[in-house]
Amino acid sequence: MSAGKAAGRPGTVKERADLALNDDFLRKAVRFTTERLRGGKQKAAAEHGNWDEWRERGRQIRLHTIAHLDYYLNLFADNARANGVHVHFAETDAEAVKLSLAIAERKRAKTVVKSKSMVTEELHLNAALDSIGVEAIETDLGEYIIQLAGEAPSHIIIPAIHKNRYQIAELLSEDAGEELLPDTTILAGYVRKKLREKFLEADIGMTGCNFAIAETGSMVLFENEGNARMVTTVPKTQITLMGMERIIPSWEDLEVMATLLPRSATGQKLTVYMSGITGPKREADQDGPEEMHIIIVDNGRSLQLGDPEFQELLNCIRCGACLNACPVYRHIGGHAYGGTYSGPIGAVLTPALQKNVAEWDDIANASSLCGACYEACPVKIPLHDMLVYLRRRKVESGHGNRMESAGMKGFAAVAGKATWFKGAIKLGQLGQKLVVRNGGIRIKAGPLKGWNSYRVTPSLPKKSFRERWKTLSGEVQAEAAPMSAETRSRMEQLVREREKGGGGHGGHA
Amino acid sequence: MADTHKEWLEQLEAQSKAKQESFMTGIAKKLGRSRVTEPPAHPFRGAPDFWRTFQWPLEERIERFTEHFQAAGGNVERLNNLADVKSFVVKLAGEMDARYIVRQQESELDCLGLEEALPEAHLSVWNSDPSENWKVRAAEADIGIVMADYAAAYTGSITVLSAAHKGRSVSLLPTVLIAVIPLERLKTRLGEILIQFDDRGREELPAGIHFISGPSRSADIENDLTIGVHGPGIVYALLVG
Repeated sequence: MSAGKAAGRPGTVKERADLALNDDFLRKAVRFTTERLRGGKQKAAAEHGNWDEWRERGRQIRLHTIAHLDYYLNLFADNARANGVHVHFAETDAEAVKLSLAIAERKRAKTVVKSKSMVTEELHLNAALDSIGVEAIETDLGEYIIQLAGEAPSHIIIPAIHKNRYQIAELLSEDAGEELLPDTTILAGYVRKKLREKFLEADIGMTGCNFAIAETGSMVLFENEGNARMVTTVPKTQITLMGMERIIPSWEDLEVMATLLPRSATGQKLTVYMSGITGPKREADQDGPEEMHIIIVDNGRSLQLGDPEFQELLNCIRCGACLNACPVYRHIGGHAYGGTYSGPIGAVLTPALQKNVAEWDDIANASSLCGACYEACPVKIPLHDMLVYLRRRKVESGHGNRMESAGMKGFAAVAGKATWFKGAIKLGQLGQKLVVRNGGIRIKAGPLKGWNSYRVTPSLPKKSFRERWKTLSGEVQAEAAPMSAETRSRMEQLVREREKGGGGHGGHA
Repeated sequence: MADTHKEWLEQLEAQSKAKQESFMTGIAKKLGRSRVTEPPAHPFRGAPDFWRTFQWPLEERIERFTEHFQAAGGNVERLNNLADVKSFVVKLAGEMDARYIVRQQESELDCLGLEEALPEAHLSVWNSDPSENWKVRAAEADIGIVMADYAAAYTGSITVLSAAHKGRSVSLLPTVLIAVIPLERLKTRLGEILIQFDDRGREELPAGIHFISGPSRSADIENDLTIGVHGPGIVYALLVG
């Protein structure tokens, strides 16, 4: 699945965004869904009340846990092991895949039923299982649909957001070998029946992990469909892949996460199911896994530890609220991000996990830095600041846009000398006569090709601002009152602080 | 095979324990300090202070639970006693023409005498015979009947804990779920339930703790809400007392 995906996917964010922008349904669907989810979130947050106090509490719990991650992760591993879980540690994606495959081979597994897990997407685990002849079946309705289509999820909460029900009916009809009507109830009913059989015959159930409770070694899953419960109740073996930062100290802390996560993700008071699983089935139990593995995955996460600019990334609880709030995501959809994680969190997380500046995508530039993601984030991660840090690091390490740098240098040279600048403007005023029609430049070639595809460039005025300055300056000085001392001192203060280089977005350390 | 598999697992465990040390040391190093081995002070544990004392009186808990559970697509009935529960279940099973019913092995449910009242249906009692394949019994059932261990009014949630006589499948695999909630188990907040698991401690926790807040649902196809995707599509919460 992932091989085909990589081959068919164009390289740059811009190309992928063009694809998304041209796909009318995707654009509308993304807008509709994100608006619905965002509206739901705002309503749920307002109804609940004291939202900012809850956010702050959520942030503090995450900050505290990550700051003491060695203690809590160690405690979790010890407790989970005492519960009878086989705990494993994987530093890299390759190690995590190797462990998963070894367990599947040992168990002589034919099929693995999976509930939603971003970590397994990150590891491309389905393709790896396929390579040893094990069928991996996604059981979340949306994930099942896009698995049939051989595509990647385009939204963290609603993965098949880019497909309409006719496309879905076509996919499922092919799967069923008979024609299914494009009716939601019929389609969902087919998947229920089909996957019921799969749950009952599967050798292994595979899950992600929303939270892991250090003090009791329990793992917690949030979901609406019941497939995560299926996967952790019916098969004899359970494998859970968990990012090393998923830890919270206690069940008490889970109340805060359970308050923030569903409200931020879908606007629900709580997801239909919240399950806390503490070890494999007890001796006399008649369901639940006999053998349970938890693979704790680093895969670039620990690189953020001790990095003052990016450590807070590990606070993320994967709710998707930043996607729904982001004007860029709402326009281009998830596939344009090209990584496992999309939206503002993906734009920062993907390069941060890879820590490889040379391959840093251009996605950090596809952001308006409006801060909507920070406002939406239930644990207050300053994503818009991080996007700026990313851009800075990219430029510092020599991966800026060469044309842009050259252009900027050229502009600096020309604009630095009044006579040169004046000359350049004169040249433009004369030169544009060749291309100006009806007061605008419409030519879709040369440097204006991109801009003019959708807009018209205004022509240069007959008299430039500089040429008019003498007259203007006289008029302004005659009319304008002098700046008040208070305003002036505030502005000077601002400039001084900016020069000191500290602060940025006021408040967070 | 059993022995070699066990040996293999032991091998993995030895590797895992060695790796655990280097993993934790690595984390501490990146955080720029030595390993933390004593419990750190956690001043922000749990919900904010204003929330911890928040309580609704019983009637309001009932009202709010009903409102929230119904909003999520569930059904709520207020019943006086177990005799009313019996007649409700018998009537519902009759209306739905339920052929297969599975219930937990709990004294309150034993008291209902459903076996005699529903002679037409195949009614099985979870783990009453350990040699039976109980997952299959639950999967074929039209109705599953459970006692709720707790419920929370603020989120409209039912909590069920697993045990030898209380299957996780009973609240998951049947088409219809009926949960009986004695009123004294109905709390205001989620936190009142969660904190009990901290108090019990690791060794006293069951393998499965499940919060259920309505019928199974999905909005994955064109944002169109679908009920009963994998779990029960019809859920009844019976408030008793």
